Amino acid sequence: MKPTYKSVETRYMEERKEFFDSLKKLDRRSFVKVSTAALGAVAASGLTPPFSFQPVNVSFRSEAASQANSFRFAYISDSHLYERDLNDRFVRSLMRAVDDVNNLDPQPDFVFYGGDLAQLGQPLELELGAQILKNLKAPLKIMVGEHDWYLDMGEKWKDLFGEPTYSWDHKGVHCVTLLSVVEKDFWTARGMSPMDRMKTVAGLDNSVQSPFTVGAPQREWLKNDLANYSDDTPLIVFSHSPLYKLYKAWNFWTDDAEQVQAILSRFKNVVVIHGHTHQMLTNRIGNIHFHGLLATAWPWPYAPEGMPPLTVEMSRPDPFNPQDGCGDGEVQVHTDGLVDKIYNFWNRNPLTVARAYTASWGQEAIPPKPNRPSY
Amino acid sequence: MSWKSKSALLAAGCAALVVLLWGISQQGLLTGSAQAAVQEQQGQALADAHLAQWKRKNPDRVADWVAEEKERHTVQPPADNSHLLKGGQGEGHTYGQYTERDILTWAREAEKLVVEGSRIFHDASAMGSAVAVSCDMCHPHAANTHPETYPKFQAQMGRVALLRDMINWCLENPVRGQRLPADDPTMRALEAYIYAQRKGVALNYGKH
Amino acid sequence: MVSLTSRIGVLGSLTLAIVLCWGIKTESQSGTDIPRTDHGAATMEYQQRLLDKLMPEVDATKVPEGFDPVIWDAFIPQNNEMTASRVALGRKLYFDKRLSEDGTVSCATCHDVTRGFTDQRPTSEGINGQIGRRNAPTTLNVALLQTLFLDGRSPSLDHQARLPIVNPIEMGFATGEESAAAIRNDEEYQRLFQEAYGRGVNYEDIGNAIGAFERTLVFLDSPFRRFLLGDDMAISADAKEGWRLFNEKARCTACHQMSLSNPLGTDNRFHNVGVSARHQDFESLAKQGVQALKEDPSEQKLEELALATDMSELGRFMSTTNRSDIGSFRTSMLLNVGITPPYMHDGTLPTLWDVMDHYNKGGEANPFLDGGMEPLALSEQEIDQLVAFLFALTDQRFAEENEGQMKAQKAAAAKSRAFRDDDMAFRQKLAFEDRISK
Repeated sequence: MKPTYKSVETRYMEERKEFFDSLKKLDRRSFVKVSTAALGAVAASGLTPPFSFQPVNVSFRSEAASQANSFRFAYISDSHLYERDLNDRFVRSLMRAVDDVNNLDPQPDFVFYGGDLAQLGQPLELELGAQILKNLKAPLKIMVGEHDWYLDMGEKWKDLFGEPTYSWDHKGVHCVTLLSVVEKDFWTARGMSPMDRMKTVAGLDNSVQSPFTVGAPQREWLKNDLANYSDDTPLIVFSHSPLYKLYKAWNFWTDDAEQVQAILSRFKNVVVIHGHTHQMLTNRIGNIHFHGLLATAWPWPYAPEGMPPLTVEMSRPDPFNPQDGCGDGEVQVHTDGLVDKIYNFWNRNPLTVARAYTASWGQEAIPPKPNRPSY
Repeated sequence: MSWKSKSALLAAGCAALVVLLWGISQQGLLTGSAQAAVQEQQGQALADAHLAQWKRKNPDRVADWVAEEKERHTVQPPADNSHLLKGGQGEGHTYGQYTERDILTWAREAEKLVVEGSRIFHDASAMGSAVAVSCDMCHPHAANTHPETYPKFQAQMGRVALLRDMINWCLENPVRGQRLPADDPTMRALEAYIYAQRKGVALNYGKH
Repeated sequence: MVSLTSRIGVLGSLTLAIVLCWGIKTESQSGTDIPRTDHGAATMEYQQRLLDKLMPEVDATKVPEGFDPVIWDAFIPQNNEMTASRVALGRKLYFDKRLSEDGTVSCATCHDVTRGFTDQRPTSEGINGQIGRRNAPTTLNVALLQTLFLDGRSPSLDHQARLPIVNPIEMGFATGEESAAAIRNDEEYQRLFQEAYGRGVNYEDIGNAIGAFERTLVFLDSPFRRFLLGDDMAISADAKEGWRLFNEKARCTACHQMSLSNPLGTDNRFHNVGVSARHQDFESLAKQGVQALKEDPSEQKLEELALATDMSELGRFMSTTNRSDIGSFRTSMLLNVGITPPYMHDGTLPTLWDVMDHYNKGGEANPFLDGGMEPLALSEQEIDQLVAFLFALTDQRFAEENEGQMKAQKAAAAKSRAFRDDDMAFRQKLAFEDRISK
């Protein structure tokens, strides 16, 4: 057992914890004084509320979120956890994201986790992830990624998090979470073990696996779920795969995308929030506005072909900073259901892809282009 | 001892000797060719045993591992040299007389090193990672490795880096494995794969 | 019976011995007998004599030895080419206390020739005994820095040299013109300014001249450099191992890039390594910083804030207002690091062993921490080897001082390693883990 020293930082952390604990014990009047002062400072600084107390340099302002019933949620995605004894870096990054979201003031309505919590779908990995996410202050909504699923076909996942496909309503917006990484059986004929199957799916460029689909049963479910909603209900669909066809070789792809989009076509405004791509990604097809989530674990390069024209690419991450190109973020939902998608990059300024950008097909509120290549 | 018992003893002794000799002869200890035959038999048995053991340990190398790896991960094919079979200057120039088998051998051997590189590139334990990270996690199909930009001055390395220096940096840092010497077979295979995947892109050394 | 001649002889030799010892001691660099003056600095005369000994010949027009001429050229501003008269003027100004409002502070007060060209204090002391918030960087080898001040708010040496003069807690003049006025009546200066810049005494040229002088302070001749150039015996085996670790396991080269063409050991970029986060109110300061800059974004206001208020902790953010720059400071140069304690932008790390402890555990978690900061799992021996390497980066001319520092720091580190955290260093506990646990 190595000798341990309690450093000044540990002592500081203990004092800090004591301080915050004591804050909770403030009587109502003092509490109001403290929070009003904080709010006043934020208001005077001219920053819009979503960015909380963290001052930001934004290239343009997102539209005032003063409309009734608009709301904000935060997101964390693609952590690809191994057990912490094996790989501490991925664990640390997820913890950093949880810390970021917990520091938001005011807190978001909920936190959405975009999938790929584990790297190889192992029970200990999923449990570790669940344990870390328990530290989130805001309520958690979670989605399956392929890395979570293909070891045991979702048994442990359902145990921990419940059904992978579900929907709910929030402040007038209908939200749907799909399991969109369904792959046709490629493993039985080859006599693969569960871990073989998992490792095949875990390889982004592994061509033995099948393309992602939503699949007929879920499309049926979706149709039924949406049946009672009118065409101008704002709709947000959460999906791990992008629900359009970007680059098949990396499964940046949903094979039955057109059929899914057809089901969504009758709605006035649909937003798809997807994981899997680990990069800043924007697309619009008809009435559907697609936004990608950042990963906490590592960034992917952009696909060599099939890039949607609306995407303003982020500049190439610096390999000497393992967290560059990663982060978390927020989504500001407006009453019409369209969103400002906020990319909270670590060690970079945050970047917003505003509602007006996708609403105007890229004519207004254009996000700043990088000054370095994106490769 | 009587005459009878003496001859009986002698006969028994001879029989024993015959049996012994016969037994020894089976061991090839007497005649040269018998000796060689048994040794060959033993050798063959040993070799079979070794091969069986290796097959058990390397199930996916028993079949055509090149084809298997290529099925898993698309690999750029080497250049097509078939144009070298045409033309007339081969006459009187023995070095220029390429055959189809030459072309096939070049392609096959080049491809094997590249495919071996692909195999290692996608396998965290093959590159000695302590954190189960393999190259393809950040570089699917070796994307974003840009080998055509080396040599380039990399300030963090304090010197002009070649592709293998960057590979070593990645091995040490995100992969948390051991650096490899320049002519290590693993390093050579990785380099081969990374170059191969960038086939057709113009060289542009120093580009950052 | 002792004769008179022998008495005289004894007395004489005794006196001679005393005089010699006194002479040698005052010319040495040992801290004990150096005559000191305002704010703890050595006297200006003493410093200049020492500088003469350290740099007997300075040819301002030649590329200093060891520099790539093409790169050296790029660091001389167009309007301030190196000439002997400019360097001479700059040197006189560097040691001139009249450039401070109360006449007690010169550049050499905080960038003291006898103290590693810094002041070896956590933060510096200016007029009226006011203490600032930043550690004074060394003026050794500043020619190759791309920005000046630890938050990089100054684009050049010439520009930087002017600012402490008008800083209320450093040299304290209200305007630059006042400082020029303070020396304008000096005929010597009138002559020197004319010779150097062809015009009268003025504030802008004060900065230019000091910049020109500082560019001559080239002290690259460390044992490590000799090792790089081929002398295998120049540094110890421990230091060689330290150099290997520097490039490999310890990840130092991610920011402290060192090569023959960039000998400083800095990437000239700004990183949040968590030192600022040790200040308890760091995160609420970020909020206040935005507010203050909105009210008055002038350069002077920036200066005042940077040094006088707690917002100094926000570092580069004060100049760029980029969120990614909150708590970021320029990577310090490593040349001569052995003689420039204490370390970090606020001088809170007293020894190089403390610096190693800080990095070994991955810095201090905060929302703006540079992603390159990771726990290193360095053993005690590896830490010692890295420190041995760092002490090998000091110019041979300061060898005695370096030895002294090494001993003193080693003794201090043996007593206390306040920043050490083995759990973090060996990844038993992870950064952010404490912050999120409910």
